[in-house]
Amino acid sequence: MNFFIVLRKELMEQWRTKRLLVILAVMAIFGLISPLLAKLTPDLLKSIPDMPAGLADLIPEPTLTDAVLQYVKNLEQFGILLALLMSMGSVAQEKERGTAAMMLTHPLSRAAFLLAKFAALAVTFTLSLTVAALACWYYTLLLFEALPWDSFLALNGLMLVGFFVYIAATILCSTLVRSQGAAAGLAFGALVLIAGIGSLPRIGTYFPGQLFNWGVGLALGAADPAWPALWVSLGLIVTFLGIAWLVFRRQEL
Amino acid sequence: MPFADFQQYIPFLIPVVIIQLILMIAALVDLLRREKTRGPKWLWALIIVLVNYIGPIIYFVAGRQDA
Amino acid sequence: MIQITALHKYYGSVHALDGLDMTVEAGTVYGFLGPNGAGKTTALRILTGLARPTAGRASVAGVDLVADGRVLSRRVGYLPEEPAFYPWMTPSELLDHLGRLHGLSSAERSRQTRELLDLVHMAEAGKRRIGGFSRGMRQRLGLAAALVHNPEVLLLDEPVSALDPLGRKEILDLIEDLRDQCTVLMSSHILADVERVCGVVGIIARGRMIIQSPREKLMESYARPAFEFETVDAASALRWADWLKVQPWAAAVRLEKVVVRITVNDIARARQELLASAVAQEIPLRRFEEVRPSLEDIFLQLTDRETTL
Repeated sequence: MNFFIVLRKELMEQWRTKRLLVILAVMAIFGLISPLLAKLTPDLLKSIPDMPAGLADLIPEPTLTDAVLQYVKNLEQFGILLALLMSMGSVAQEKERGTAAMMLTHPLSRAAFLLAKFAALAVTFTLSLTVAALACWYYTLLLFEALPWDSFLALNGLMLVGFFVYIAATILCSTLVRSQGAAAGLAFGALVLIAGIGSLPRIGTYFPGQLFNWGVGLALGAADPAWPALWVSLGLIVTFLGIAWLVFRRQEL
Repeated sequence: MPFADFQQYIPFLIPVVIIQLILMIAALVDLLRREKTRGPKWLWALIIVLVNYIGPIIYFVAGRQDA
Repeated sequence: MIQITALHKYYGSVHALDGLDMTVEAGTVYGFLGPNGAGKTTALRILTGLARPTAGRASVAGVDLVADGRVLSRRVGYLPEEPAFYPWMTPSELLDHLGRLHGLSSAERSRQTRELLDLVHMAEAGKRRIGGFSRGMRQRLGLAAALVHNPEVLLLDEPVSALDPLGRKEILDLIEDLRDQCTVLMSSHILADVERVCGVVGIIARGRMIIQSPREKLMESYARPAFEFETVDAASALRWADWLKVQPWAAAVRLEKVVVRITVNDIARARQELLASAVAQEIPLRRFEEVRPSLEDIFLQLTDRETTL
């Protein structure tokens, strides 16, 4: 099927343009340094000279919780940033350069063209987050204690769904406009919007941001399930890609 | 906390440094083989080598320009 | 092979195509001529399915365009005016990728890749990144890419306009060689190129077909035979031109310093009398030439008429 042929091309592109390398390296580094930072931060604070003796005693000893919080905080921030940076050109750049027109005069449906973009980014992010998770798990084991692997796996799965939402949103933005710069601006706006709504008290519980909180809870054994947020996130992915397809199908290239 | 305590964590940083080096080398190789960049080449070379860790990434995201 | 009826395409208030009719028979090389902005590219983009017509019908190889684009892409090859590629790919990888999309087997793909790269003289560049390629190389690679699936119909948008004379000759030779394999529709605003390779010519201006006819027939019915002289001095050229103007077999006389260009109604008589009169009136000639009527004369004649209407 032609979807897999384009997916092969997209993955080759991720590799050749070093996009895969960048995502992998960024995530792996944060996987490694997050537990390390959690371990060292209190010591670093204490080592500040002239720290009043009483205050130094107030700084708590680092725990497993700190390691997981660091990991999720760093990967959420940089994962979302990468999702935006690596997806913003996906469709817009091909329209800008004329390669989309070139490829689509051969037997290739526009649905397959779009879906392959998403799939390739999904594969890259999955691979990179797996490496980051292994790195974090191993360092946490060395510095603190073993994390329960099943709930840590669940945490990473939830983060991945969160990233997919942002990838799909950015691909949609990239489809709507003709230039990469415009796509970046639009996607950044969408990101702020999703984060903004996500931080509102009641509605926020239904938004992808909640996935990260749920994940932390899971990994630390204090599960506070946010199933609605998961369903909404999956729904958003499908909706964004669906709209992108409806728009792209009618576009003249 | 004495410095010796920190020393025991230095081995943990080795993988991080290796990844950093891989990124830097990949960026430099890419820069050398590329005909056009956004802005002067020497400036990108400096950014890649001197700006720790994010230098190569900035280059990959913003510096490359394809003919 | 290609049938276009009353095709309209509006971009806002701009009428890129304004009721275009066109018929391209199977096995011809059709030259699609017209000034820039006449609607050639729009027509080709509609034929490839990249743009949709506002109104009208178009079919290629009996397949209606609006109905099914995917069937069409297997039978049509398209070379855009500025072919674009992924800079990180190599020509071999590109042709292999396109071959996959067309469902070719692994053996077919490697054979096709080799043959096509040979055809467009890129065998030695097959493993280099496309990113650094020159305009001419892109054009040749674009032609190879359009031929991956041995299409029945080949659509070429200004295939040689951006090339230097040598590159132009190479591509035109290639197009000539393709004549036996497929139907070619080639757009151009450069008449000499169309004159060289196209058997049928359609002239379009402001989104409408002005005339469509086999090249030879067009030449016969529109271009009058002409002669060109160069005299040694301007005075004798003027004297002779005055005499020529009143001859019954002369249609028009144009004088440019020492060069006299005369179009004639009666070629046989003109051949007899022209040189004889030059001798009789002692006109010192530097050059005497029977000029082949060119497509350019016809083109200007026809597009002029269209714009003055």
